[in-house]
Amino acid sequence: MSFEMWAEKYRPKTLDEMVDQKEIVERLKSFVKAKNVPHCIFAGPPGTGKTTAALCLARDLYGENYREYIMELNASDERGIDVVRETVKTFARVRSIGEVPFKIMILDEADNMTADAQQALRRTMERYTETCRFILCANYSGKIIEPIQSRCAPFRFTYLPREEHDKYLRYIAENEGVNLLDEGLDAIYEVCGGDLRRAINTLQAAASLSKPIDAKVVYSIAGRANPADVRKMIDVAMKGNFIEARKQLREMIQKYGVAGSDIIRQIHTEIFKLDIPEPWKIKLADIVGEIDYRLVEGADEEVQLSALLAKLVEAAYEMRGSTKKV
Amino acid sequence: MYQPWTVKYKPKSLKEVVGNKEAIQKFVDWVKSWNEGIPEKRAAFIYGPPGVGKTVTVEALANDFKMELVEKNASDYRTEEAVKRFAGLASQYGSLFGTRRIILFDELDGLTGTADKGGVKAMVDVIKTAQCPIVLIANNAFDPRFAVLRSYCLLIEFKKPSVTEVLKHLKAICLKEGIDAEENALKFIAQRSEGDIRSAVTDLQALAQGKKRLTYDDVSWLGFRDRQENIFTVLRMILYGKTCDGAKRAVNMADVDVDMLFEWIYENVPNHFTDPHDLARAMDALSMADVYRGRIKRTQDWGFIRYVIDYMTAGVAMARVNTKTSGWTPFHFPERIQALSKSKEERSIQLEIGKKIKRKCHISATRASKEILPYLRIIFKNNVEMAAGIAKWLDLTPEMVEYVAESKEKAAAINKLLG
Repeated sequence: MSFEMWAEKYRPKTLDEMVDQKEIVERLKSFVKAKNVPHCIFAGPPGTGKTTAALCLARDLYGENYREYIMELNASDERGIDVVRETVKTFARVRSIGEVPFKIMILDEADNMTADAQQALRRTMERYTETCRFILCANYSGKIIEPIQSRCAPFRFTYLPREEHDKYLRYIAENEGVNLLDEGLDAIYEVCGGDLRRAINTLQAAASLSKPIDAKVVYSIAGRANPADVRKMIDVAMKGNFIEARKQLREMIQKYGVAGSDIIRQIHTEIFKLDIPEPWKIKLADIVGEIDYRLVEGADEEVQLSALLAKLVEAAYEMRGSTKKV
Repeated sequence: MYQPWTVKYKPKSLKEVVGNKEAIQKFVDWVKSWNEGIPEKRAAFIYGPPGVGKTVTVEALANDFKMELVEKNASDYRTEEAVKRFAGLASQYGSLFGTRRIILFDELDGLTGTADKGGVKAMVDVIKTAQCPIVLIANNAFDPRFAVLRSYCLLIEFKKPSVTEVLKHLKAICLKEGIDAEENALKFIAQRSEGDIRSAVTDLQALAQGKKRLTYDDVSWLGFRDRQENIFTVLRMILYGKTCDGAKRAVNMADVDVDMLFEWIYENVPNHFTDPHDLARAMDALSMADVYRGRIKRTQDWGFIRYVIDYMTAGVAMARVNTKTSGWTPFHFPERIQALSKSKEERSIQLEIGKKIKRKCHISATRASKEILPYLRIIFKNNVEMAAGIAKWLDLTPEMVEYVAESKEKAAAINKLLG
């Protein structure tokens, strides 16, 4: 068993090694062949290979010393306009001396950039096109302003299909000498939903227990890595105890740092497992969807999610009323 | 009998004065220099923020050196006449009974233009001919009114004592009062006082007198004591507002900013909107207010703040349809703010670890601490070898290892492997 993060160890190094996103990979390979890359947007959910694809493309294009020709910037950490004005510009305007006449700037989590920074970026992209190409990675391309979108070639990344996911995890397990049982693999897929980074992290954490990896181990890892007991919180809300439900929500967010988007995704999954009249499930899904959208727009995840909890309290109250009448 | 602790535990000797050791030494040296004849500066001007021990220092010195302290403060008139009456005292080195004398003009900031007319000028005259040490005390020695006066004085600056020093003083008082106080409760008082020992001791007495134990919960609401009355009125106007205008007006009355007011409303809505429909409506209004906050953040256009205010005040007020307004429900301090400040330290080390992960894993520090750290926790708990390998690979410091492992023993084992 090797003692580093497996998600990094097994990150594909070249486009040929990339297991999925076949069409995307083919197009990227054609860029390498032509030694020309347009500005790109890689959009898609986490753990689907956006950053990996960008790094592989760079390595194929520049060779082993690719690091000298690229810059990776993370918009979640450095998303202000100053970064675009200073760092990005400085990098973009200096011509590279090599076979490939341009450098590549990888802007990760670009959907977290402020609108101002994006506006500044738009001009930078235009002015320095000859010396620098941009690859913007984002979960939602919708959060990137139109003028930038229209300057970029779009690529949509999707979750890995089940077979590819399984093949990859089995390969890692074998290589690391880990006994991964079928039910364990099923559980990983269920818990991580095709997010490969998360799947590999779950596998490694499970392997650290030095036991055969069965479903039980995976669920316990997922439970501990993701202390959001969303179901319990929903049940508390449906019983009408809003204050207690909000307290649990607060703990998930503040103490364990669970992302609001993860919580709402789990709420959405749980809604359909609830023991409530069928028509209500779709009503609740609509409410969840509305809040999910506001989560993207809003400033404060706890406020948005607790508004959702209040709606659940209300819905449960109405359900009780309607059953009484019958 | 009620006795203020600020009096009860006032330092009797210089040794007991909290902080400002250097300034006090400078002062002592100057007073001692009078034994070898009249020094160049016949007056000392002690200045500094309130409650840092300026007056106390002079009193303690007089006590230590067995000197007679003659004191004038803002409650006395300090007209030219009044000051000159001191001239006689000041012209003698010792008192009638052979003890030496020290003359103190306290609270000089309180000198008013007309009532204390000519006071400063008279003071200068007294200093010029003084035969005994004269001490002036003010918060701000650099007030233009004191320009001439300053040139005749040895300037001694008193600074705010550190939190640790204040804390030590509070601990000593608790010990004497037989109060078992939590360290972080006292620390909270000390921090809040911002170096004003007098207010720290006053706060401590208000919270702890007559108690056996003092916990963090007893004191945590303190920071907002002065504002409490105001915020309650404002909250009442919003949560029980009948008109949109009335609820909106409350914002102008609040002496907290919009974000803090939002927190107060957000905390208190559930207790004051018990009907499920009302609650859902009120929370929905807050959710929309937050959406506009998000729009402000993204566009940097503060004009949107008006919609934030609309929703969080009028929107919440209009949510009340079924919930009756009878009965009295208390208001709570926003718990979220407390929790946030408590976990501040934790988040800072989380972010540092996040940065280490970022360097290796092509993921933002923020997301790393949310998405990768939880898995590391599990690994660090279960597999020392793998943990050590990863710690080395990520270049974690021993403190970071301890934070991830959440146990001293595990961390020690991992750090040992790291060498």
